[in-house]
Amino acid sequence: MLKVEGISRRYGDLTVVDKLSFTVNEGEFVALLGPSGCGKSTSLKMIAGLEMPDEGAIELDGRDITQLSPGERKLAMVFQSYALFPHLKVEENIIFGLQARKVSKDEQKRRLDSVVELVGLGDHLQKKPGQLSGGQCQRVALARAIVAQAKLCLMDEPLSNLDAKLRNEMRTEIRALQQRLGMSVIYVTHDQVEAMSMADRIVLMNDGKIEQIDVPKALYNNPQTIFTAQFIGSPPMNIIGSGKNRLGIRPEHIEISDKGMPANVVSCDYHGADTIVLADVGAAGEDQKLVKIRYPGHAMFEAQQRLLIRWDSGNEHRFPN
Amino acid sequence: MSSWFQVFSKTSAYLLGLVWVLPLLYAFWAAFHPPEYATQFSLTAPLTMENFASAWEQAPFFRYMLNTIVITTLILVSQLFLCTLAGYALAREKFAGRGFAFALVLTQLMVMPEVLIVENYRTLAGLELVDTYLGVGLPYLASAFGIFLLRQTFKTVPQELEDAARVEGLSGLGIIWKVFVPLAFPTYLAFSLVSVSYHWNNFLWPLVVTNTEASRPLTVGMAIFGAPESGVDWSVISAGTLIAIGPLLILFLIFQKRFIQSFMHAGIK
Repeated sequence: MLKVEGISRRYGDLTVVDKLSFTVNEGEFVALLGPSGCGKSTSLKMIAGLEMPDEGAIELDGRDITQLSPGERKLAMVFQSYALFPHLKVEENIIFGLQARKVSKDEQKRRLDSVVELVGLGDHLQKKPGQLSGGQCQRVALARAIVAQAKLCLMDEPLSNLDAKLRNEMRTEIRALQQRLGMSVIYVTHDQVEAMSMADRIVLMNDGKIEQIDVPKALYNNPQTIFTAQFIGSPPMNIIGSGKNRLGIRPEHIEISDKGMPANVVSCDYHGADTIVLADVGAAGEDQKLVKIRYPGHAMFEAQQRLLIRWDSGNEHRFPN
Repeated sequence: MSSWFQVFSKTSAYLLGLVWVLPLLYAFWAAFHPPEYATQFSLTAPLTMENFASAWEQAPFFRYMLNTIVITTLILVSQLFLCTLAGYALAREKFAGRGFAFALVLTQLMVMPEVLIVENYRTLAGLELVDTYLGVGLPYLASAFGIFLLRQTFKTVPQELEDAARVEGLSGLGIIWKVFVPLAFPTYLAFSLVSVSYHWNNFLWPLVVTNTEASRPLTVGMAIFGAPESGVDWSVISAGTLIAIGPLLILFLIFQKRFIQSFMHAGIK
């Protein structure tokens, strides 16, 4: 449905987005994931029309929209700061776009009612955004995006201003809404948990380029690059060895056993359900080579305690380059 | 120590306020009492409205008032319109020479309008606008101060709000009207008050450029009315002054709270 073909954005000598290409299918939830400064927000702005790509094309339903103004693209967008108009009531904020596009009053009312029910804002319609909590503001922003019934909804880190508990709730809620309404969504985030738990497919970006596009499971199980391997999963994948012999092994795949590779405990970090053990696998006299081991349950090893660790060779990852 | 300082600063504030308001109090005293009490204070002095009646008869105050209202409104409306567009352009549009254009506007802030009176008169005479409303208003139709103030306010409007409005399908002018203007409302109010009180009270330029009742504002009318050669009657002049400042005074008293809030908000002192 949406086709992004080789778009780039440069500021002077700095290339922020470098020949980015990907597609979004009807009803699909695609996450644009990457560390801050990787160009994901700029990419989203180019799709929204708020920034113009220096090269490349963007197609929506087979129509080239690269040169269209943001309004002409008829997309919906949820902003990180919610971007609610402080001088308008919640109700007016939600139908702001419908008024701008001169949708009939009856239709406005009908859509407002149904969307208010969807996101649960019934009691707050007459309030100003300043009187709402962060979570409620987020709902208003969502409602404004849904009410537009746009072909594609863009979300720019919409949950990053919420506290952890609310973030988890909203994550589930947004995903449920998206599936119920069959919305096509591009969701920008730097939080791999958000991307992994919500998205149908993830576009992982680094330094303006695409590292890998895949479904969450494949991204986790078959990372194509070391960057992907270390970005997805927490704690990140251990990379052992160098050059052609580099191999990756996830902390949760390492077992503490009675035979295998010797490792000296450096420290333990207890998380409740499991303990992250930091250990040194470098031979005596060599530089430290640290690995993280996820140990189920509570385990407080002494520093310098000697352990033996092993893993199934099926869980090893190799990287082509 | 600090309580002493508080007492001191409060007392001086009241004292200064009293000194400042004295002329106004005197005008009220003189206007409502017969002329023989204009320079002496007595609690038993009879109240009278006579001075207002004679002031109203002796000079075409109604016409002057109308002129002042029309001129002030003309200037205000045009200033708000032009300053909004210029302020938005200087705050948000990227164009070559923007910094230079803004510097020019700031430079203009430093030029006293009185310096330009002769040149402005020549220009207006060339346009045959002497003794017209437009003639009185023309030099003030745009305001460097207003442009500066609105530019600063518009700069504080978050970019995401503008982006959101744009995505929702508003045009450039629509965004100014629906987003920037409402958000800058306190600034508009504060600026309007400054502008209205300045132009309501403006004297020198209207004196130069008006010749007849057709365009003469209250201030100039008052000056002619109270000119020494026509004999000074303080009571009647005070009554005339009250008529002249009345509308503005009432307006200010009604919206006092609002105005002060706006000034605090807009950061004008």
